[in-house]
Amino acid sequence: MGNLLTASSDFVSESLLRFVESTGIVGFFSQMGWGSVVMLGVACFLMYLAIRHKFEPLLLFTIAFGMLLTNLPGANLYHTELFAGGHVHWDIFVAHAGLLDYLYLGVKLGIYPCLIFVGVGAMTDFGPLIANPKSFLLGAAAQIGIFATFLGAYALGFTPAQAGSIGIIGGADGPTAIYLTSMLSPELLGPIAVAAYSYMALVPVIQPPIMRLLTTEKERKIKMRTLRPVSKLERILFPLVIAIIISLLLPSAAPLIGCLMLGNLMKECGVVDRLSKTVQNELMNIVVIFLGLTVGATATAEAFLNFKTLGILVLGVVAFCMGTAGGLLLAKLMNLFCKEGNKINPLIGSAGVSAVPMAARVSQTEGQKADPSNYLLMHAMGPNVAGVVGSAVAAGILLSFLG
Amino acid sequence: MLWVALISICLVFFMLVLLVGVMKCFGFVFTRRQPAAPAAASSGRVVVQGQVHEEEIAAIATALKIYRSAMHDRESEVLTILSIKRAYSPWNSKIHGLTQLPDRK
Repeated sequence: MGNLLTASSDFVSESLLRFVESTGIVGFFSQMGWGSVVMLGVACFLMYLAIRHKFEPLLLFTIAFGMLLTNLPGANLYHTELFAGGHVHWDIFVAHAGLLDYLYLGVKLGIYPCLIFVGVGAMTDFGPLIANPKSFLLGAAAQIGIFATFLGAYALGFTPAQAGSIGIIGGADGPTAIYLTSMLSPELLGPIAVAAYSYMALVPVIQPPIMRLLTTEKERKIKMRTLRPVSKLERILFPLVIAIIISLLLPSAAPLIGCLMLGNLMKECGVVDRLSKTVQNELMNIVVIFLGLTVGATATAEAFLNFKTLGILVLGVVAFCMGTAGGLLLAKLMNLFCKEGNKINPLIGSAGVSAVPMAARVSQTEGQKADPSNYLLMHAMGPNVAGVVGSAVAAGILLSFLG
Repeated sequence: MLWVALISICLVFFMLVLLVGVMKCFGFVFTRRQPAAPAAASSGRVVVQGQVHEEEIAAIATALKIYRSAMHDRESEVLTILSIKRAYSPWNSKIHGLTQLPDRK
């Protein structure tokens, strides 16, 4: 009886000790425990921005919650070691994976960004771009920020793959940034996703000063010619032609462009309305939840709390500003060769950084400040959707060169 | 790396300029396919660029008339029933205000 009591008391004390050690509270006092506390603060701050100030809430909210879950010590929802070295360690995956590890496979295998692009395509009207193909040039010019920042990041000591991933923030296209980063430098996925979506939410703050600085009052007052009507056949042929041309010339961009054009064709053909509505709503919403949670989960204390993150945040805003300036300056340059009455309002150039439709709205707002009777929104939608195509092309090129 | 960046941006421009060319061809073909002024052509009148016909003006005026007559004043859509929170007091308590029935056993 005495032995039984002694043995059981030892067992109970050991079990209790194990239980206490397994709690997350003890984890806060372990190595990098302070980092988890800081990351929980960062997650709460991002959630505050999403809920209180509505900064890209659909993604920032889920990213912040993923960040919160992954930084709870002991929860074991996400394991960086399963994806160490840029590839999935299938041999230990099933034995160790948590919920977010399974969901993260969608990012790692490039599935979620492409599914989001199907939804984006189904929600995008390429009519203004078809009516005014010159908008493609403005969409291309706004990608200058990507490559300038790529050089800057490389000069600061990032590897070429990391520099490419940082540069893509300038494309202002969340799914493209996540797609490229998950392929080139998955270790930076958390900071890059947070930077990309934060700056996209800050487009109305970042762009207007640059727009006013680089344009004159007279240029901002330019009224553009009404766009020609676009027939249904053109709208149907457009996604087919773009998908075929880009996929043939740049196969690495085929997943993104193919999915974008698939969604657009669903919308324009008019015979698969049910599918079109599904990809615009249900599918898009489900993927946004998974994408946000898992991207947030990659922002562990070890990956996020270092000087690289600070560098990424600074370089990201530089990329954004340079992209905006690139679009504006090319529009001004194009005006030198345009006849009177055919001029382009340079304000629509800034919409070449994707951020659909926020960047186009900023062009409209700034145009109306100069002349309240000037309506630039539809004109700005051309470069805006061209920017989506342009950033996907830029991502494909970076992937071919650096992947 | 400078060369990689330069070649990359040139490739982006090349691809998108190619698409401009393709879309210009598209526009050329499709604008030619559309008849210039079907209504005027059927009426047999000569169309002058920038001139609006009486029939078009009448159609626009009728459309505007129908549109405006279909419009209604917009209500604010705000319900004015306000929920009032009363602080608890024995004077407004239902329990104290109701006659308690005796327990019958």
